[in-house]
Amino acid sequence: MNTIFLKLTGTNHILGHKLRFPDFPNISEILEVPVLIIGGGIAGLTAGYTLNKRGGKDFFLVELDAETGGNAKSGENKYSKYPLGAHYLPLPNASNVELIDFLFDVGVVIGRDDNGNPIFDEEQLSFAPQERLFIKNYWQEGIVPQYGSSDADQQELTRFLHKMEEFKALKDQNGHYIFNIPMCYSSPEKFDLGLDQITMEEWLRKEGYTSSYLHEYLNYCCRDDYGTGIKYTAAFAVIHYFAARKHDFKKYEDAVLTWQEGNGRLAKLLAESFENQILKQHMVYKITVNESNVEVLLFDAQRKVSKKIIAEKVINCCPQYVNKYLLPQRVKNFQLLQYAPWIVATVVLHKFPFADGANLAWENIIFGAKGLGYVYAQHQSLGQFKSPFVISYYHSLDGTDLNEQRRKLYNQTDEQWKEFIIKDLSIAHFGIEDEIISIEIFRHGHGMVSPIPGYLSSEYRKQLTLPIANKIFFAHSDLSGISIFEEAFYQGREAVYDMLDNWEA
Amino acid sequence: MDKKKNLPIFLLISVFIIATCGLIYELVAGALASYLLGDSVKQFSFIIGTYLFAMGVGSFFAKFIVKNLLDRFIDIELLIGIIGGTSSVILFLLFQQVEHFQLILYLFVFLTGCLSGMEIPLLMNILKDRVNFRDLVSNVFTFDYIGALIASVLFPILLIPKLGVMGTSLFFGIINVTVGIFLSFYLSKQLKNPIILKIKSLVCFIILIGLFFYSNELLKYSENQLYSTNVIYKHSTPYQRIVLTEAKGEYQLFLNNNLQFNTKDEYRYHETLVHPAMSIAKSPKKVLVLGGGDGLAVREILKYSSVEKVVLVDLDEGMTKLFQTNELLRKHNANALNNARVEVINMDAFLWVKEAKDKFDVMIIDFPDPSNYSLGKLYTNNFYKSLYPLMEPQCIVSVQTTSPYFAPKSYWCIYETIASVFPNNLAYHTYVPSFGEWGFNLFSPDMRVNFNRVNQRVPNLKYYNYNLQKMTDFPADMKAVDVEINRLDNQILVRYFDEEWSKI
Repeated sequence: MNTIFLKLTGTNHILGHKLRFPDFPNISEILEVPVLIIGGGIAGLTAGYTLNKRGGKDFFLVELDAETGGNAKSGENKYSKYPLGAHYLPLPNASNVELIDFLFDVGVVIGRDDNGNPIFDEEQLSFAPQERLFIKNYWQEGIVPQYGSSDADQQELTRFLHKMEEFKALKDQNGHYIFNIPMCYSSPEKFDLGLDQITMEEWLRKEGYTSSYLHEYLNYCCRDDYGTGIKYTAAFAVIHYFAARKHDFKKYEDAVLTWQEGNGRLAKLLAESFENQILKQHMVYKITVNESNVEVLLFDAQRKVSKKIIAEKVINCCPQYVNKYLLPQRVKNFQLLQYAPWIVATVVLHKFPFADGANLAWENIIFGAKGLGYVYAQHQSLGQFKSPFVISYYHSLDGTDLNEQRRKLYNQTDEQWKEFIIKDLSIAHFGIEDEIISIEIFRHGHGMVSPIPGYLSSEYRKQLTLPIANKIFFAHSDLSGISIFEEAFYQGREAVYDMLDNWEA
Repeated sequence: MDKKKNLPIFLLISVFIIATCGLIYELVAGALASYLLGDSVKQFSFIIGTYLFAMGVGSFFAKFIVKNLLDRFIDIELLIGIIGGTSSVILFLLFQQVEHFQLILYLFVFLTGCLSGMEIPLLMNILKDRVNFRDLVSNVFTFDYIGALIASVLFPILLIPKLGVMGTSLFFGIINVTVGIFLSFYLSKQLKNPIILKIKSLVCFIILIGLFFYSNELLKYSENQLYSTNVIYKHSTPYQRIVLTEAKGEYQLFLNNNLQFNTKDEYRYHETLVHPAMSIAKSPKKVLVLGGGDGLAVREILKYSSVEKVVLVDLDEGMTKLFQTNELLRKHNANALNNARVEVINMDAFLWVKEAKDKFDVMIIDFPDPSNYSLGKLYTNNFYKSLYPLMEPQCIVSVQTTSPYFAPKSYWCIYETIASVFPNNLAYHTYVPSFGEWGFNLFSPDMRVNFNRVNQRVPNLKYYNYNLQKMTDFPADMKAVDVEINRLDNQILVRYFDEEWSKI
């Protein structure tokens, strides 16, 4: 019998949950700083990066966890680095100038061609073969299901992808795309089509798409991007996934930017220049706006003491499920703001049991499985593939009641998760259990915001983004409603500009 | 049945079996020696001579055994079974590591011969009082020679094809020990220490049976079939499966079942890979070899006296170790990997290139063909770009680039990929009988380098005559157009390669 080393980890939910029943020691230290950034996810790190680059204002960034990165965290074992969350960044649209500039600054874009288009560093583009899909007991290349499907299925798939191309090109009379990234760059009329009011499943039915292949494929895409499936996700968000990326730089085709540690690399690049201004394991538990400043109370989980930071301005980069405890006066609407729980399991194995079809790729998806497939971290190494292999298995727990799913996430034991993961992987890799050396199960209690119908177009979402008293500025991808790097980057950067532009006011 | 009466018959059957086994061990040793060391006439002759001589020595010493003859006879049976039976396994295992392999081989032959030589005199002494002497001599030798005949006929026709060398020797070891077991049980009452003998013989039996099944693992019958020659060494490293075979006195090295070289004509390949680059460079001092853990390219490089340092980077320590230690293989690479001017680094070439700080006058790139996505990375534009910081301004690089005849798209894809980074490059090819038409590429970062200008020569090459131009003409069946450039994000070369070689 093969003994598998198991480990359950995750974001520090025990510490986080103290916010519900606040009981912290008395303040033993007071600090003053012009700007305080709360939260070390991509939005917060981008805020720090932008502020540092602009200069002139001193700041601290505080983070609850032991590491920054948020949903872009990564890990490392003796064989490889690996993602613990988001693992790639699609090539930005040409209009996303700020992001391209950032990528240039950190060496992901290494130059510009004669047309001024960015030249991406080949070593940071996903290596071939990029994707494969296990379907009908066979690994096919690419993730759009083809192997063993009927002509009717293929026709529907083609019709659907065609429709998405139309959406991709769709503009309002002022020349703004209906679907664009970041969302703020798109047309103000984007919700006029009513796509945010219905679920994707409803939209498919309405448009006459019935192929189970197409439904399963879209359900996969939807869960992969938003945690929730087509039953619960707004049609607008799912179409956005297909139509908002314009693939402006043709020569790169479908390539994306990725690294062994996934978006952990971007998190590191963002944090690099102000590393010593980051306070980790510091949890903010109260924010009070005064006449001339903002008082922030924090708990230092390492030293077990409470501190007070007095800042002129605060950039709040916390997700909104945290902010409801920090700013009790905020409007609440739990129905609209939903976050799906996730697990990312790092599986180390001697080798893959034989399977028919395409070779091991970077993304490996199992059609109709419970999870979302796995990413092979070392694929992005320049070296030769070798044993042991490190793969990251993804699974989002979706359902009608996400709170119940969250309870399930934490109640399951490591043995139960192990069985679940092995059973799911065994669909494509019979006998994989005997090859597994270790499994680390990383739990994200609130993986990402799920754009359920009505949220994106709601007045409520707009309100959440508004600064308080020109002193607290908000930035988080959940405020865009779509949890992707580009949105978090946009949010973090915008908040800094907004704050600096209004500094004197 | 009366055991006393039957004793002579059983012992004579033993003689028959002993004789068969004895000859088998002799043949096994002869076959092993000629596989592993080559020159079968010499090896067989030496082995037979040594074996017969050892039998004489054994016969001489048999007279000093005077007590408990039956016990000793069974002891000797078991010893022969164990030593003869395991000889081939042990020799196979030692072949890769031991420097004085011949010495050990002959030691085994001598020991087996010696023990076999003791058997007949001992047996005759046991039987001399129970059987008429005239019958005894006659019967013993009759059975002895019949056994020899059967062994020598079965060996090449049935045993080697079905069981392989290892299987055969183990199988007969088992038979030898079975005789021991049978006698120790059947003649229990006439033995001095029956219990100890029974235990000994059963232990021997178990060891041999165990090895017999392990030997299947060690040297699969199917693999012998696959290579249709004698597999004399095989070893799985974390990166590849190394198999060395022998046929007609020549050796072939396979990595993951792909032929890397045949000693018969490897000089054609290695001279063509190395000498054009070395002769165009102006008195090269530092040379980099990527891949080529067999040391054959290094052997050619060391022929140039201007060379002060050769750095060889090969992923697989199992490979370079083998070519540094094995006597036979060292003979073929002229001990190149142990040369004081040569530094061997066991690292992934791409990762090494990314970190190295040295600069080189010549680079020789000898990677396996791009048959998978892992190897395909070593043929990308990105890889060739990564070499640039390691180049002296007038550096000359040569690369093995698969067959332009069997895989023209792959060949020209590599050419175009190199040309996209280093426009001053040259395609050339030659004929290597074991491989067929084989292709190479020369390039330099310096646009002014003229590949047809020879700056230095070494004498006594067997094949390359410094007329490179002759190798640069490609007939229509070795051409391909419209090939894409191989990049990390498309790995188009692996697709071409797969498509082209799967047709063959």
